Amino acid sequence: MQSDQIDSILRAIMADVLGLGAARADALTHGSELFGALPEFDSMAVGIVLTEIEDRMGIMIDDDDVDGALFATFGSLLNFCSSKLNG
Amino acid sequence: MPHANELCFQTGPDDAAWSVIIVPPLFDEANRMRRTLVLMMRALASRGIRSLLPDLPGQNDSLVATHAVTTGDWRTALAQCVEAQKQPVMIASFRGGALIDDDTGAAAWWRLAPVTGASLLRTMLRVRVASDREAGISTSIDALFDQSKDAPLMLGGNCLSPVMVAALHGAVPAAPAPLRSVALGDGPNMIAGAPLWLRAEPGEDSGMAIAMAHDIAEWAGQCGIC
Repeated sequence: MQSDQIDSILRAIMADVLGLGAARADALTHGSELFGALPEFDSMAVGIVLTEIEDRMGIMIDDDDVDGALFATFGSLLNFCSSKLNG
Repeated sequence: MPHANELCFQTGPDDAAWSVIIVPPLFDEANRMRRTLVLMMRALASRGIRSLLPDLPGQNDSLVATHAVTTGDWRTALAQCVEAQKQPVMIASFRGGALIDDDTGAAAWWRLAPVTGASLLRTMLRVRVASDREAGISTSIDALFDQSKDAPLMLGGNCLSPVMVAALHGAVPAAPAPLRSVALGDGPNMIAGAPLWLRAEPGEDSGMAIAMAHDIAEWAGQCGIC
């Protein structure tokens, strides 16, 4: 999967789960902080985002893959998805 | 099964030729969809269509404990609700509602974004793992699933029995007939709108509610229920 496609899917997931709206989702950058910075991004959102990534990107995510750093920024989540998909 | 008189929200004329019984999403997803489901019921009522939104035992305002119910109890409760209607019934189910809408005696079915029980369960287990980690407790999906085989498991505020977890794990939507299944999106067999069941905060989508009411009414005409 190409990187712009992964970026687009992840932005759509953020918009759907966090209710960001298209403008705020488009404005996310690699440095945009997520867990701890966005009030909507709680443990419930973490669980839902992981399942949506699995369903929409066709990957499996193990418990061992998930740590606090994964959800630090939009960029860290994007890099994780890219490495899962493309090695 | 647990017996209780459950609340049921109803709109539309009592003398309508047919009725829609709505099976909401399961667990927390139901809370995020309820507002839009009620908007859809009002849109159906404006077309002269009667609709009912019953509480499933152990869900929403039900007085039955969640750990005392199984998916079989939900199917039985829906069958009783269908049987209590004077008119033919179409069931409109949403997400996990599609797991329990078959064998209910309805005349037709309509579904939005049906999901497997395994997917719902995996998300709920993940939320529990993330929540435990915030509290400094180390758990895993596999360890929690093993625990669920011997004792009730608390997932997202829902206390689920071993029987319920096992049933959800293997549950897939059946194929009753006649059935129309729609997804979210722009295209044939799709409804334009937002996946509100994913939202961290409950929202609403009135355009989606009207589009769903329109689609249900069209399907009723095509499948001959009205």
